[in-house]
Amino acid sequence: MALLNEALMQQLATVWAVFQGLLLEAIPFLLIGVAISSVAMAWDPRGKWLQKLPQGALMGPLSGALLGFALPACECGNVPVTRRMIAVGAPLGTALGFLFAAPVLNPVVLLSTWAAFPDKPWLLLLRPAGSVLIALLLSGLLQLLSESDLLNGELLAERNLSQPLAKFSLLERRSGLIGEPIAQTKLVNQANRDGDFQAIQLLSHGVNEFLELGSLLLLGCGLAALIQTLIPRDLFLLLGQAPTLSIISAMLLALVVSVCSSVDAFLALGFAEQITPGALLAFLLLGPVIDLKSVSLLSRVFTWPALALVLAGVCLIVLVLGQALNLVLL
Amino acid sequence: MPNSVGARASAQSGVAVKQLPYLVLGLWGVVLLNCWADGRLNLLLHSNFHSLVLATGVIFLLLASAGLLWPPSGPSRRNYLPMAVLSISGIALMLWPPKPSLSTLAANRSSAQLGDSEISFLSPPEQRSLSDWVRLLNSQPDPELYAGNPVQVSGFVLAVPGAAPEIARLLVRCCLADATPVGLAVRWPPKQQWPKPDQWLQINGVMAVESHQGALRAVLVARKIRLIKAPARPLEP
Repeated sequence: MALLNEALMQQLATVWAVFQGLLLEAIPFLLIGVAISSVAMAWDPRGKWLQKLPQGALMGPLSGALLGFALPACECGNVPVTRRMIAVGAPLGTALGFLFAAPVLNPVVLLSTWAAFPDKPWLLLLRPAGSVLIALLLSGLLQLLSESDLLNGELLAERNLSQPLAKFSLLERRSGLIGEPIAQTKLVNQANRDGDFQAIQLLSHGVNEFLELGSLLLLGCGLAALIQTLIPRDLFLLLGQAPTLSIISAMLLALVVSVCSSVDAFLALGFAEQITPGALLAFLLLGPVIDLKSVSLLSRVFTWPALALVLAGVCLIVLVLGQALNLVLL
Repeated sequence: MPNSVGARASAQSGVAVKQLPYLVLGLWGVVLLNCWADGRLNLLLHSNFHSLVLATGVIFLLLASAGLLWPPSGPSRRNYLPMAVLSISGIALMLWPPKPSLSTLAANRSSAQLGDSEISFLSPPEQRSLSDWVRLLNSQPDPELYAGNPVQVSGFVLAVPGAAPEIARLLVRCCLADATPVGLAVRWPPKQQWPKPDQWLQINGVMAVESHQGALRAVLVARKIRLIKAPARPLEP
């Protein structure tokens, strides 16, 4: 019993340490994301410029994906930026393209992929290309839903403020003509009315955004630390050379391990020789879109059913891409 | 008069509520600076991220000071639950520094596959670190090449189920979540108990060859074993 207790205490101490590692690594990137979001709010409080970003099933997600080069943020940092884009009425496809592809389509991630796998030039090509494809397909899929089915309620209310009133029925004008306005939308609305966005309001927005997303990040890091410490990592890689199963196991590992997209290539280097090329690509494509750490953050963008659709959709796309690569290379 | 006193009290509590988010942000600034100062980052993160944590802590403190000095006048969100979660976890981080069992962590993960490009051929055998030896053995796996080479390495004791413990280090590219072990097989001195997992040791010995599961492998024959304190930077890049 004493041995069992000691083993349990060691496990818990290790979970606690891994949790701290994940959290301390992620917080600076969350700050960067919140800072970009706040600057966007100050620069374009009514979303005049962001609303002019390209629309359309192809150009929207593509332009959003390319924004990753201008606003390099990993998957934690780009959630607040995406929320801001959606809130001010940017085209949905553009915002989703940014959310799904920017964590890969940025210079830091591409350089780290090249540094980790200089002997696999196909990976340097297929990782960004696969990421853009995911952004296009996933954005297309999600836009089949109505905005009320897709977007988190508070975010939707804020977005509705930037839309022409004629677009909504009287009952839908929750934050407009009828119903109790949400504090944040009131804050933004007031700031927008005032025209001159004061620094202190910007600070208030940023701090509130950080508090909200930071507490969700804590939850995600705790979950990721618990699962990856208690379940042996080898379980995820047991299916090494079986073409399809190796892809699925690498995807599960990507979901659990929850490391930042700027360093995941170095982590993959540790087991790249044990798995198929398709599984390696799948690991590098899935993690930047969704993992245990980011699920809670993404719940501030999407409704839970939409989030389940994101997970199912991206898993299917990544599985097909990995499988296609295995067919070519194996 | 009672009305004006009530109104003043209500206004004061309103200001206090508006300042709460900045207090939580300030607390996290202190937490991050404390994490940077108490050396725990060496145990948790790759050194590339240390300055980021420090800068974030300083920025949090500056923003919190600005918010406390000039609280916003407009309506504010009531983020009580997130604030409570962040405050409790921030205090917990200060009170309970990480004390992971590296052996437990390593036991859950397969050994790192180290690339050939990382080999340091220049060091003489006795100056090679544990990870240098593992890189060398990965790239030139013929154990006969190293038989008789003097070795001096330090690392923690990694329990191996059904076999003698190894001496190991953890390699980290980002944070403890991606740590992967590299270990050397050790032939421990006969008639001595094996050391306990997680103990930090410095071992002097020589490389030898032994048969293991039908193949030859390099093994460190320990001649002198010294218990050492865990190094300030236990993780290797």
